[in-house]
Amino acid sequence: MLDALWLVPTLPLAGFLLLSLTAGKLPERAVPWIGAGSVGTAALLAAIIGIAFWNQPPESQFFRQTLWIWMQVDGFQPPVALYLDALSLIMAFVVTGVGFLIHMYSAGYMAGDPGYSRFFAYMNLFVFAMLVLVLADNLVLLYLGWEGVGLCSYLLIGFWYEKPENGFAARKAFVVTRVGDTAMAIGLFLLFTQLGTLDIQSAMQRAAAQWSAGSPLATAAAFLLLGGAVGKSAQLPLQTWLPDAMAGPTPVSALIHAATMVTAGVYLIARTHVLFGLAPEAQWLVAVVGAITLLMSGLTALTQTDIKRVLAYSTISQIGYMFLALGVGAWSAAIFHLMTHAFFKALLFLAAGAVILSLHHEQNIFNMGGLWRRLPIAFWTFLIGAAALVALPLTSGYYSKHDILLAAYGAGPSGSWLWAAGVVGAFLTAVYTSRLILIVFFGPARAHHAVEEKLSLSMTVPLIVLAVLAVIGGLLEMPLQPVLPVSREHESGLLIGLITSLAPFAGIVVAILFYGTKRFSLEAMLRNSAGFSLYRFLLNGFCMDWLYDKVLVQPYLRLAASNKQDVVDKPYQAIVWISRSVHRLLTPTQSGKLRWYAASIAFGAAVVIAIGMFT
Amino acid sequence: MAQTTALWPLIIYFAAVLVVVGVMLGLPNLLGQRSRGKATVEPFESGIVPVGDTKIRFSVQFYLIAIFFVIFDLEAVYLFAWAVAFRESGWAGFIEIVVFIFVLIAALAYLWLIGALDWRTRRQRRVESKINN
Amino acid sequence: MTADALIALLPIMVVAGAAIVVMLAIAVRRNYRLTVILTLLGLVTALATLPLAAERAPLAATELMRIDRYALFFIGLVLATGVAVTLLCYDYFAKREEQKEEIYILLLTTLLGGAVLAASSHFASFFLGLETLSVSLFAMIAYPIKERLPLEAGIKYMTLSGAASAFLLFGMALIYAEVGVLSFAELGRLSATADFQPSVLIGIVMIIVGLGFKLSLVPFHLWTPDVYQGAPAPVTALLSTVSKSAIFALLLRYFVVSGSYSYESLSAVLTFIAVASILVGNLLALLQDNVKRILAYSSIAHLGYVVVALITGRVLGSAFAVEAVAFYLVAYVVSTLGAFGVVAVLSVGGDEAETLAAYQGLFWRNPGLASIFTASLLSLAGIPLTVGFVGKFYVFSSGVNADLWLLVWTVVIGSGVGLYYYLRIVLAMMKSADGVATAAVPAAPAPLVGCLTLTVLVALLLWLGVYPGAFMEMLQSLSKTLS
Repeated sequence: MLDALWLVPTLPLAGFLLLSLTAGKLPERAVPWIGAGSVGTAALLAAIIGIAFWNQPPESQFFRQTLWIWMQVDGFQPPVALYLDALSLIMAFVVTGVGFLIHMYSAGYMAGDPGYSRFFAYMNLFVFAMLVLVLADNLVLLYLGWEGVGLCSYLLIGFWYEKPENGFAARKAFVVTRVGDTAMAIGLFLLFTQLGTLDIQSAMQRAAAQWSAGSPLATAAAFLLLGGAVGKSAQLPLQTWLPDAMAGPTPVSALIHAATMVTAGVYLIARTHVLFGLAPEAQWLVAVVGAITLLMSGLTALTQTDIKRVLAYSTISQIGYMFLALGVGAWSAAIFHLMTHAFFKALLFLAAGAVILSLHHEQNIFNMGGLWRRLPIAFWTFLIGAAALVALPLTSGYYSKHDILLAAYGAGPSGSWLWAAGVVGAFLTAVYTSRLILIVFFGPARAHHAVEEKLSLSMTVPLIVLAVLAVIGGLLEMPLQPVLPVSREHESGLLIGLITSLAPFAGIVVAILFYGTKRFSLEAMLRNSAGFSLYRFLLNGFCMDWLYDKVLVQPYLRLAASNKQDVVDKPYQAIVWISRSVHRLLTPTQSGKLRWYAASIAFGAAVVIAIGMFT
Repeated sequence: MAQTTALWPLIIYFAAVLVVVGVMLGLPNLLGQRSRGKATVEPFESGIVPVGDTKIRFSVQFYLIAIFFVIFDLEAVYLFAWAVAFRESGWAGFIEIVVFIFVLIAALAYLWLIGALDWRTRRQRRVESKINN
Repeated sequence: MTADALIALLPIMVVAGAAIVVMLAIAVRRNYRLTVILTLLGLVTALATLPLAAERAPLAATELMRIDRYALFFIGLVLATGVAVTLLCYDYFAKREEQKEEIYILLLTTLLGGAVLAASSHFASFFLGLETLSVSLFAMIAYPIKERLPLEAGIKYMTLSGAASAFLLFGMALIYAEVGVLSFAELGRLSATADFQPSVLIGIVMIIVGLGFKLSLVPFHLWTPDVYQGAPAPVTALLSTVSKSAIFALLLRYFVVSGSYSYESLSAVLTFIAVASILVGNLLALLQDNVKRILAYSSIAHLGYVVVALITGRVLGSAFAVEAVAFYLVAYVVSTLGAFGVVAVLSVGGDEAETLAAYQGLFWRNPGLASIFTASLLSLAGIPLTVGFVGKFYVFSSGVNADLWLLVWTVVIGSGVGLYYYLRIVLAMMKSADGVATAAVPAAPAPLVGCLTLTVLVALLLWLGVYPGAFMEMLQSLSKTLS
């Protein structure tokens, strides 16, 4: 059964090829069957393969399928091979399973869009690229998938390309992640040149054998990979692109910018955990980046007015938790949170999409209100997703986040600080999530448009399935021991556990006091000038865009402008100039005159014979 | 470099050719007298002043026939070569020459059938076919 | 002449027979479609006899021809190219000439010449094959006899070919005068033991001059753009693929078998030719506005790359050179057929689609053809996942392994410059179709046969780019058979 693994990425690819080659000429009815059907079949296949894998795990705890050797030119022989172990299996589940539900949802959500077929083609391509990324056996294939998902993200953010803002948002996402990608590419080159293999597993083994803990090369490689991870996963300092990426259609935000692609950084670090184990500084930095990011984006989410931007900041913050877990060595907890987050955040986005669609593409939460009666399905599913996000007990988010926070507490001297950051983050999560629900679904109705819940079956079913998964997902904790080292067990004490569990409730209470009962008035705080500037500061996401604009973009543009005629350009201009002038010198030889052509053969022969004789 | 010593005669010969040709073409230019009369560059033969253009179109049917002759005649040369070695080449040689002759006949048949041996112009053909009918 | 030898020669004889059958068929009854079908039938039969011949290989069928797997591979390449060109010709000539059937006789004799070249192991068959190939090509180039450019191109190619053949013959004569044999193998055996006069070296260089002209290597390249531009597009496709690959196959065999690698100064000659071809070819294409001329210059550069692989055989051994050259030639043939095929398909309606302006906005008018053209151009430029990349990778790694850094750097520079003009065409196709372009090319319905052929070619191009492994293994096994 495992031999059918190659079909899993191939099916979405086939869907993409079919949809793109027919170039929108297929009848609209057929498009979702191909688009969602291919991913659905892949999901089914992945499930069957997964069951087979767990029932009869291979001796070595992994399964490798070499499809073919790309080329063999002495020594360089990159294989095209898939690698399946518990980690990549979970990722494949998430990508195909959640991916299928979102595809199904899109069939209703995107219906009637002129780019219907194009949308599904891109989505299928994305699923293919993501599967290549998680199933890759070697660095080349991994990089191919990595760039592929980046490309699809670009295409789908700018899906409605008629609006220039969307194009700018797509470009921003592409350029900012490119900074990280470059770091990662250099990291991969470093691994290849130093370890002499493209195979990920043997590279890790060789790294453990060749490098001692804390050796400069290991640290450098880990830092470079971390650079790639923070770019793709929108962590500090490269997080600024994700909120803008919400310009894409909502299913795209759910699939790419919540459930799968943005967690690729987490996957990358987990996949190369050996390397991070050899570089304690880098691993510590992972934890710190996660902690700071989750706090910052939690604070920012408090002030946002666009429903999707709130969710986007919340995504950044939740990935911060995953980074925190990776940084303290709680590998399984990180992947567990990745999975539960994929369920509940996809659910939140899809439910938000249902709200947005019902309100005729209204995204400002202050134009909503009192919707819980009119949009029952959207409300209840959103509530369940929110409960999981806030990590209320018995929901999936509770188990995964709890694991992370307890692991953080037990991690060395700085552990309690990381734990505290995580708890404050959990508190903030509860506050902004409750705020969102209170404003959107309760309170006075503020909608200017007629509100109608027009959810087709294809949209309702994924919402309900994801809601169920968001609740029971916590039971699906999967054994990752053979792949990832077990994190140390800690005795954290009852008090710590209690604080960790109760932090969300405190957040909910605070939110109700502010937005529900209005005991505290936000307006009063905003009238204070200090309060207002704080609000502005948070609203703009710590003014990171402004900061980057001032610190990086403007100076760079100024430098570029002042340096237009600089020395560095000269060689390039010289190349152009030389090429062109040589071209002009050579062109007259093509005179079209037979006599000259014949003579040139004679001259050429003389020159060639001379060279032959006198060397 | 040892090779080049053997080449010296050739190089000298080559240079000598160049010199001789150069002298033959150059000297008259230097030494000869020049006249720039009115009719110097005009073609002139037997007291007749040329009239009209030299670029007249000839019908080249005979040229085609000449080419055919050359081709078929040349191929006959191979038959002589075969005839000399008739006994030595045996049956294999015989079969080969039969194939050869067959190809020649095929080519001749082709030329005949597409009308390459027909000298008449298209108009003549049309007129003639009318007369015959 | 044994029965085995006859069977080994079967592919060549079938092509020759097909030419006669097609000729007689035309004489009896002029039917365009029938002619094409007969031609294809002949070519497919010839291809089908290749396995029969392969069972007998390696075998010396008379002193003139040596049928080994190397020869059969290139015969197969030549014949397969012939099939593609026939299909491209079908639409192109369908509405053009009054007497259009004869082009297929000429096509078959061209392929016959190519096949003979691929198998020849003797100066006599070498020259005969080359002339069969060239003479047929003269007529094919000038086939639209009432138009100015094809006629001019035909006459130019014929005259200059004559000059080149003279060099070739003189070279052979010099070698024969000194060594006294005409067979490559004998030559190799004798030159390994005896020490010959330098006139043998001059002879080899003159042969290189003659072949260099046919391969359009600098400095014998000046005819290339004029002839490519003037010839009808499918004929250009034939000229730039069959004649190059067959002649290069011969050159490589000559080098390996006759022991020419032992001449150190030949490396210098070839290095000069390779560097000059790569640089001059690419630089001349730079600002060119005629697509056919761009492709002509690009073929000059590509043959330069192949010469690099040929040179490295001296250091790395002939097996690797054979592998690299064979793969590069296949890559070049597939990509070039794709590119000229698009030109041919677009020219079906009337005038040749050769100016850059005619391609403006093609992506919006005919996305399928534009994609095919883009794929072919990217393959010529050597972009990964196309067959051209793998070919260039071969050239690269052979240059690096042989420590021939001058050549490696030239290839790098050439590829960089090359990207510029390939992308210029792609850019032109991407441009908005508004206004300019619609008038430039009459919107003829894209012909079915041509489009199908091109689709197959592009599939091959991508297949060999993504999955070259099996093909490489085949080349590796056959590269050892040539010695």
